[in-house]
Amino acid sequence: MATLTQVGQQVGQVGRSVPRLESRAKVSGSAEYVYHVAVPGMLHGKIVRSSVAHGRIRRLDTSGARAQPGVYAVITGQDVLRVMPDPHYGPAFHDQPVLALDKVRFVGDPVAVVLAEDPHVAEEAAALVEVEYEELPAVFDELEAARPGAPLVHEVIRPATTFADLKHLAGRSGTNVAMEYHLRRGDVEEAFARADYVFEDVFRTQQTAHLPLEPFVCLAHPEGPDRLVIYTATQSPSFVRSEVARLLGWPENRVRVRTAFLGGGFGAKLYIKLEALAAACCLLAGRPVKITLSMEEQFLTITRHPTTFRIRSGVTRDGRIVARACEVWWNGGAYADISPRVTQKSGFTASGPYDIENVRIDSYVVYTNRPPTGALRGFGIPQLVWAYESHTDIIAHRLGMDPVEFRRINLLSNGQPHATGTPLTDTATREVLEALAKAMEWDKPLERGSGRYRRGRGIAIGLKACVAPTTSCATVVLYGDGSVAVLAGTVDMGQGSDTALAQIAAETLGLQAEQVRVVHPDTDVTPYDMATLGSRSLFHMGNAVKQAAEQVRDQLLAIAARALEADAEQLVVRDGAVWAPGGQSLSFKELMVHRFGMQAGTLVGTGTYLPPYAKPDPETGQSEEITPFWMVGGCGAEVEVDTYTGRVRVLRLVNAADVGRAINPAIVRTQLNGASLMQLGMTLMEEMVLEQGQVVNASLAAYKIPGFGDVPPVVEAVLVEMPHRHGPFGAKGVGETGTFAVSAAVANAIYDAVGVRIRELPITPERLLAALRRSGGAGSQEGEEG
Amino acid sequence: MSDFELCEPGSLEEALALLDPQDPSVRVVGGGTALVLMMKQRVFHPTRLVSLRRLAGQLRGIMRGERGLQVGAMTTLRELEQSALVARTAPVLSRALPRLANVRVRNQATLGGHLAHGDPHMDLPPILLAMGARVQATSPRGSRWVPLEELYLGYYETSLARDEVVTWVEIPELPADTRGAYVKFCYLSAEDWPAVGVAVFFRLEGGQFSQVRLAVGACTERPVRISRAETLLNGERPSPAVLEAAAQAAAGEVQPVSDLLGSAEYKREMVRVHVREALEQALVGGGR
Repeated sequence: MATLTQVGQQVGQVGRSVPRLESRAKVSGSAEYVYHVAVPGMLHGKIVRSSVAHGRIRRLDTSGARAQPGVYAVITGQDVLRVMPDPHYGPAFHDQPVLALDKVRFVGDPVAVVLAEDPHVAEEAAALVEVEYEELPAVFDELEAARPGAPLVHEVIRPATTFADLKHLAGRSGTNVAMEYHLRRGDVEEAFARADYVFEDVFRTQQTAHLPLEPFVCLAHPEGPDRLVIYTATQSPSFVRSEVARLLGWPENRVRVRTAFLGGGFGAKLYIKLEALAAACCLLAGRPVKITLSMEEQFLTITRHPTTFRIRSGVTRDGRIVARACEVWWNGGAYADISPRVTQKSGFTASGPYDIENVRIDSYVVYTNRPPTGALRGFGIPQLVWAYESHTDIIAHRLGMDPVEFRRINLLSNGQPHATGTPLTDTATREVLEALAKAMEWDKPLERGSGRYRRGRGIAIGLKACVAPTTSCATVVLYGDGSVAVLAGTVDMGQGSDTALAQIAAETLGLQAEQVRVVHPDTDVTPYDMATLGSRSLFHMGNAVKQAAEQVRDQLLAIAARALEADAEQLVVRDGAVWAPGGQSLSFKELMVHRFGMQAGTLVGTGTYLPPYAKPDPETGQSEEITPFWMVGGCGAEVEVDTYTGRVRVLRLVNAADVGRAINPAIVRTQLNGASLMQLGMTLMEEMVLEQGQVVNASLAAYKIPGFGDVPPVVEAVLVEMPHRHGPFGAKGVGETGTFAVSAAVANAIYDAVGVRIRELPITPERLLAALRRSGGAGSQEGEEG
Repeated sequence: MSDFELCEPGSLEEALALLDPQDPSVRVVGGGTALVLMMKQRVFHPTRLVSLRRLAGQLRGIMRGERGLQVGAMTTLRELEQSALVARTAPVLSRALPRLANVRVRNQATLGGHLAHGDPHMDLPPILLAMGARVQATSPRGSRWVPLEELYLGYYETSLARDEVVTWVEIPELPADTRGAYVKFCYLSAEDWPAVGVAVFFRLEGGQFSQVRLAVGACTERPVRISRAETLLNGERPSPAVLEAAAQAAAGEVQPVSDLLGSAEYKREMVRVHVREALEQALVGGGR
């Protein structure tokens, strides 16, 4: 007889590096993806896109395309009005038309859709749609767009009615500033006057693309006259259902949204993208419609914000930061998407993980005629950390202080209030910094070289607040034979959520993770989940699944208590059975037979998680409870600079993170390291290049992302486990943490190597070589260029 | 992509008959690695593709002839990479191949296609140009040998007629004591087309440079021999000053193109850096 365990005692599923449950299906090619879904009578839609950055549609002639053999229909914005009276969508603002109605706002803005049974016919015919534009002046730079008199991208601001805090923006006009956020703490000007030194820097970031290997794909399929099934590679099935139902004026139960595995997401497939377009086309055509974007079209759908960040710090002679003023300009592109949320919910962390008495943050998102920007792995945080951690290093060097030591002096500690007033509950800021310094062997000297190749090292640390308030609901069911399924709206897009949720359910129910089936999102089946985004799923959905599994467990214990004539409190679950203190046990299947008289019935447990939240004060940005948990990510980089070419090789990348409790340590490591490599690409090579608003490098041949040849020889993850009191088994989300500090760590390491400060991403060889030349060559510690 | 005719003739005569001297939408395809990308990007709309796939038996293989290596146009880059004969007689080529594209592309791409495409961003044209290679071009009018110097006219522009097919490539076997190197500079990702490619071959006779052959590719509209630097080096003893002078002469001679892989000015500087590096590498011991 095996030894007994107590209820709640861990049986070894949490903390176990369970191999991903879907590995075999993926490797053998049998895993389900939306791309593979086909239904009878299906049409393929090819989008006709704007060729101008800003203009009014004067004439739209679809006759040539319609005349093509094999073309079923050509849908325009005017057609969409027949099924969607107000066809504007978006998660924060309702500003994006399903198809352009009067104006186009970027090169690539969808203007029409050609439907054909053969996707190649649709593509050919799309080129035959004739559009005449009256071109309007366009604006691409966030600072220029914010100036009075700039061309207006939108005549009026249209906030979504769902967000109470955006209501005051309704009807605002005459500006491209779509949304602003302000934080006020202490008296910044007075503190600047008092400070021994004041440092000011401006940092910029470029527009980048998510580029999941599976581009966006969606299939809308009518089921009778009044129901719609949408198969879509989305990260947010619940939101797609709400938004499509809203646009159609239907109740949500008439729209069914299903997903499968995603071939990557990174924020590109969030909220609603082309689902409303597919739905409209499907209803207008009366046939299923599938829209499959090409790799190139991904650059025209959603991207990461370019930013300009002006940061000013007042510092005392002994290295205390006493004041910091942050002015952040987010380039939102042509449509708001989730930018207003980034502006606020990332904006409020712009002063960094530091204990600063006087803080002012002003964060603005500005419409421009660029492809729209939104959430990309980190939700704005990597742009902020790039600036404030480069700035922090600049200050440390000017003061003649070691960069780690300078951070030690100023870093917030666990439990201290952040600039927003929300305490850093169970947050390992200092622990992450120390773990990073240790892993980097910071106290040991580094051989920097003296010839063509110079070496240097740098660190950086960033803080993110998990987005709030958001809800996750889950159902756990136990079937008649005792097997278990988790019904969750979390989308597994490669981050391993199926495995982690199975581990949480298994831990609670005394099973092996491999025995638990995780059912993929289907809004007819799986309960509401806000979205798979912002590193929120493990924390929120993990809690919901844990609750739901506990409910099932308690039902099993109650049945067993009757069957075994024992006190339920003394019973435990283990190895798929309930055990009494005396050693008697009944398997889950035996319990179901006991309860239902045969192998039958279903036990259902439900869980809901909505963490507490307090809205920030609109004037000061202060809040007692602005986030359910803080995320801390540190990065250390060792680089080698080729002073002849300006090329940077990263030799070592260390990613230290507060993970709360690693449910699956192997997945946590790959999440952190994978995120760091993604951000490394955005640090050294990636940039969408626009000419007159047109992305001229919209392909993987021209827009380079890191290949295996670019992976540093050493990439390591350092897991710092400070369990969160509200996390499932103490866990925190980590999907983005590895991105935060990479850019600044690399820039700081370059400075350490060659004494040149770059203030604009990406750090291309030409940019760095020019800066080196201006600074008077390698080794000069005076060079300040960017 | 619209409909087109895909022909897979079983003989060269048949293939040539399917080509059209006037129609640019009729093209020969070897491995298809470049052409299919152009079709997907909608910059090339074929009406007919004449695949040489079934001619692989006749136009494939690496042989040692009197003047050097004779390589069938349908030989894949991977076969060149793995050939012991190439490794022995043209090691610079062997060393360049593993960093050309990736193994999937090299398994599919053919030498004939690589050379006939006229894409200036390729790795092998500057190497073969410096080596003095030539291609056999065959048309219904017969065959002619075209030196690489005369093959490339400009950006994606070759001297091949529309009904001419590259059938064989002749790579001269350089004297055994020839030293050589190819240096590939990738701008952003290490896995990319080169921003600058430099190939150099020379002999040291009595400690002096002789028969210097220097070619630069990728940064220019077409791969070019750098005669000024060659002249400057011939007869000189290697020294840092001589290498630098040659590198500067090369940088002064090339006409780089500004694009996403750097401005013309930057590429000119990269030519200087990498010509010098190629010379140094070859001096340190790079065999031909």
